[in-house]
Amino acid sequence: MTGRAVDWLLALAGGVLLTLMTLSNAVLARYTDAVYASWAAHGLGALVALILVVVVRRGRPKTPGDDAGRAPLWYYLGGIPGAFVVIVSAVAVNSELALAGTIALMLTGQVVFGIVSDRLGLLRIPRRRITAMDLLVAGCVLAGSVLIVLGGA
Amino acid sequence: MLALLNGVLIGTSRAVNGQLSTRTGPFRASVWNHVVGFVFLTTVLLVLHTWPNASDVPVAAYVGGVFGAFFVAVNSYVFPRLGAMNAAVLVISGQVLSAVAIDCVQHRTMPAPARLAGVALVLLGLCLPRITAHLRGKRDTEVPTEN
Repeated sequence: MTGRAVDWLLALAGGVLLTLMTLSNAVLARYTDAVYASWAAHGLGALVALILVVVVRRGRPKTPGDDAGRAPLWYYLGGIPGAFVVIVSAVAVNSELALAGTIALMLTGQVVFGIVSDRLGLLRIPRRRITAMDLLVAGCVLAGSVLIVLGGA
Repeated sequence: MLALLNGVLIGTSRAVNGQLSTRTGPFRASVWNHVVGFVFLTTVLLVLHTWPNASDVPVAAYVGGVFGAFFVAVNSYVFPRLGAMNAAVLVISGQVLSAVAIDCVQHRTMPAPARLAGVALVLLGLCLPRITAHLRGKRDTEVPTEN
């Protein structure tokens, strides 16, 4: 139960990191453009992540999950849909949806895709049963998020 | 339609990174995500020939990559543990709540009523499992006394 609470807090903290990232990437994009901002963020992110791997390994000389050879090739390609996100957002924000509408629909797409992939075990993730409570939580968070996005400052 | 597709792309990217993380650990998953994304975007920029002039960009604007590296590691770690839906819901919650807080601090104003209602709704959603578990526990202990 406590392990699960830690996972929850980590996931929430991940959201905070994402906000900070968006904030800073938006500044970069204002000076340049969206694709360049994402390119630079990926380059620097790769460097930082590499440093993290080295630092973590130094702290723990034995790396446990070193069976990377068995991972299928497509496991390594998560960066491609991630990079596409930037390009598609740039197009969508400039459409009649505008920023708030784009974000609201992106959140909806994420949650619906999450539910569907949990249910069907898409991309070989473990299948999970979605309970009525899960749907209620997702519904509240999604509705609240859309209110925040559309509610203006 | 594009915006919805974008949500699916985000989900796909996180799921794939989460899968890689179960084999290589979250930090390596973050490295691969960023290296592959970087190579891909380099190709896009080269093909489109749209290198913008980046000479007068403040260095602080590049800090996003640092947050990104941590984010992918954190998300790849929790994703297989929480499941796709829970991970998405929690990350979104952290995102919108912190965005409201940052806006408040930056503009030194209270958020609009609609936003406050949104914050309340998100918090309610996050607490819902606890609340119902609490209520159910209470009802279970109350039932014998009512009889």
